[in-house]
Amino acid sequence: MIALVDCNSFYASCELVFRPDLVGRPVVVLSNNDGCVIAANKEAKALADIPMFEPVFKIKKQLIANNVVFFSSNYTLYGEMSQRVVNILKTFSSKVEVYSIDESFIDLSTVPHEELEAFGHQIKNTIYRLTGLPVGVGIAKTKVLSKLANKMSKKIPNKNHVCVINSDDDRVKALKWSPVTGVWGIGKKHSERVIAIGVATAYDFTQLPMAWVRKEMTVVGERTWRELRGESVMEFITEPKKKKAIGTAKSFGKKLESLDIIEEACSYYVGEVAEVLRAQNSCASAIHIFLVTNFFSTKDKQYSNSITVKLAMPTNDTFILVTEAKKALHLIYKEGYKYKKVGVNLLGITPEEYVQGNLFKIPTESKKTLTKVVDELNVKFGKLKVSSALVGTRVKEWELIKEERSPRYTTQWKEILTLKDT
Amino acid sequence: MDFLLIFGIYPYFYTMETFSHGKVKKLERQHMPEVSKQTGFPSPATHYMEPKISLEQELITNNDATFYVRIDSNALQEFTIFKNDVLIIDRSFYPKKNSLAMVVIDGEFKVIKIELEAKEKEFTLWGVITYIIHACK
Repeated sequence: MIALVDCNSFYASCELVFRPDLVGRPVVVLSNNDGCVIAANKEAKALADIPMFEPVFKIKKQLIANNVVFFSSNYTLYGEMSQRVVNILKTFSSKVEVYSIDESFIDLSTVPHEELEAFGHQIKNTIYRLTGLPVGVGIAKTKVLSKLANKMSKKIPNKNHVCVINSDDDRVKALKWSPVTGVWGIGKKHSERVIAIGVATAYDFTQLPMAWVRKEMTVVGERTWRELRGESVMEFITEPKKKKAIGTAKSFGKKLESLDIIEEACSYYVGEVAEVLRAQNSCASAIHIFLVTNFFSTKDKQYSNSITVKLAMPTNDTFILVTEAKKALHLIYKEGYKYKKVGVNLLGITPEEYVQGNLFKIPTESKKTLTKVVDELNVKFGKLKVSSALVGTRVKEWELIKEERSPRYTTQWKEILTLKDT
Repeated sequence: MDFLLIFGIYPYFYTMETFSHGKVKKLERQHMPEVSKQTGFPSPATHYMEPKISLEQELITNNDATFYVRIDSNALQEFTIFKNDVLIIDRSFYPKKNSLAMVVIDGEFKVIKIELEAKEKEFTLWGVITYIIHACK
């Protein structure tokens, strides 16, 4: 059996662990740069007039009128809390597949069937006790079914956030309960098509002939179909895949015009992604840069462009990457526009040990040592404290505005929870 | 000390592991036996080397349940908690009689001593305080 454990309104729940004064109030978390609402707790979801993924400037008045508390996203905190949950899950099972920041599959093949429900409650209670985060647990024979069980654990009140699909009867009941649109792996387009031929529930979907599903919905649809029928075809992925491309792109805190400041932002992002690259011992063989203006703006002139440059040889050296990125940026930058975003993607990621030396460019050990020292200093003293001079020091001017960001309670000694009057 | 370490003079192996979300865990600090450069004789302590005492290892039982809280008030002196002290709170512990604990009463954090028999005001346990770090500077 497989369990899907997922945290309820994860981002908002992380904030509430340290803010009990806000429990019961509607809380939303905003995306990077406070662009739009990306997470809401159940109290906020209950206010029907707060649309998710809507630009904040459009709904700020509504938020304030409804007494909604909003936070800028604090990914440092969410990432660390997520790691705690994963670590705790690993004490329950040797096989844990982290599916996203707030969802993990865990293998429960060693737990006797009659104990599954109690086991699910134990997982839920332990995570809540140790971290303060509420979770839901769905247990079933396959991944797709456990995802469905998880949904039921939340939607059906007397389930109390743990739901087990234990028998074939349970499975059929669950499938009849779930509309086909809610099935994991059936996207909007496919669900529209199956609804058009009279399929309403997940159960109806499983009654379609396999050949039809395969023909119309490819092997992905067939996999979902099999999993819903109780045949486990999706394997556990416990080793993280090495990333094929690494990238970052964030909006500037304000619109930027001059090349030198955009250059600094770009270099900063290169520094960030190069660190990820080195952490997984890979090198990039090409770098892709893009630059865009604000397409929402009606009064400004619009421009966007992107460029991909191949590197002389694969590297993970920030200094080389920054130099190349800047050259590329010069080629696409045009004066007279108000830019909103610059993005960096590193492509053609290959393991470090496979990189072939080039007759004219031999990687030097001293450069490697330097990079390593810089990485270690940054780990120790905070993000990008030490960097190439090309990165510049005007980070404040273009970095995301993070006004409502909560303290990084668990990773920064200076930001730990502080009690004033107790 | 850390300055020296960067330049490799300090005789310790210093290993670090960076997790994907940016949390850094210092894995170990292992003592490296010194060998005399002059004679090549190993140090007589070679087989007696042990890792140094680690406060984290001694004071923290369950990393995933541990949080730190700073007290910015003088109201808790009866519990020998002073202004600027940092509490180590382990949420995996169950409170015993006379345990110090951080609790939530009416949506506010409070520090209390747990008295199991006496009926107290209703509270929600947040975590048991396992250590108080007090700076003597």
